[in-house]
Amino acid sequence: MASNPLFILLCSDQHERLQMAAMIASVAAVSDRPVQVFVSMNALVLFGKDTPADKRYQGGAFSKLLKEKHAPDALKLFDQGKELGDLKMWACSMALDIQGWEIGHLVEGLFDGALGLTKFLSDAENGQFITL
Amino acid sequence: MSERTKIDARGAYCPGPLMELIAGLKLINVGDEIEVLSSDKGSANDIPEWVKKVHHEMVGITQQDGYWSIVVRKAK
Repeated sequence: MASNPLFILLCSDQHERLQMAAMIASVAAVSDRPVQVFVSMNALVLFGKDTPADKRYQGGAFSKLLKEKHAPDALKLFDQGKELGDLKMWACSMALDIQGWEIGHLVEGLFDGALGLTKFLSDAENGQFITL
Repeated sequence: MSERTKIDARGAYCPGPLMELIAGLKLINVGDEIEVLSSDKGSANDIPEWVKKVHHEMVGITQQDGYWSIVVRKAK
């Protein structure tokens, strides 16, 4: 039986928070727990398909360690979570509009589509909610 | 007779070894086993926890020189 669904709101563009979101999402998804990730605000830019890797992973001292130690790539973790578990990723439709992007501007194969906050919040009413 | 596949995940950090195990489990038959080699201490604790949660079987875990050998049997 599937566990309590998990909903992650990712707003920060900080590498450490992106990494934590990817770790939580992927591990929960492969542990028979449905996961939905809603990406908005500064975090959306991290997922731009033309965003260079050195701009994608910026943060503090721990970000440097993550890179030096070759910790698993955050976007690859999201991808593995989708491939091996029940993980859905949504791009905030408002953030896409503000950024002037369509869903096609984001990395291929990661997002299930654009979604409004109202729908995400409604779906999240019966699950656990985490903001990063 | 069951078969055993070895995955060398030494050098990978959490949750890398777990993800490699799960990807490997997708490819083998029920009853077959995977041995994961991991130098990540967190994964040595997390993999048995994951196996218990999703109802596969832990065959054994042994600490070697600088890494762990974790053997899991696919149960479903």
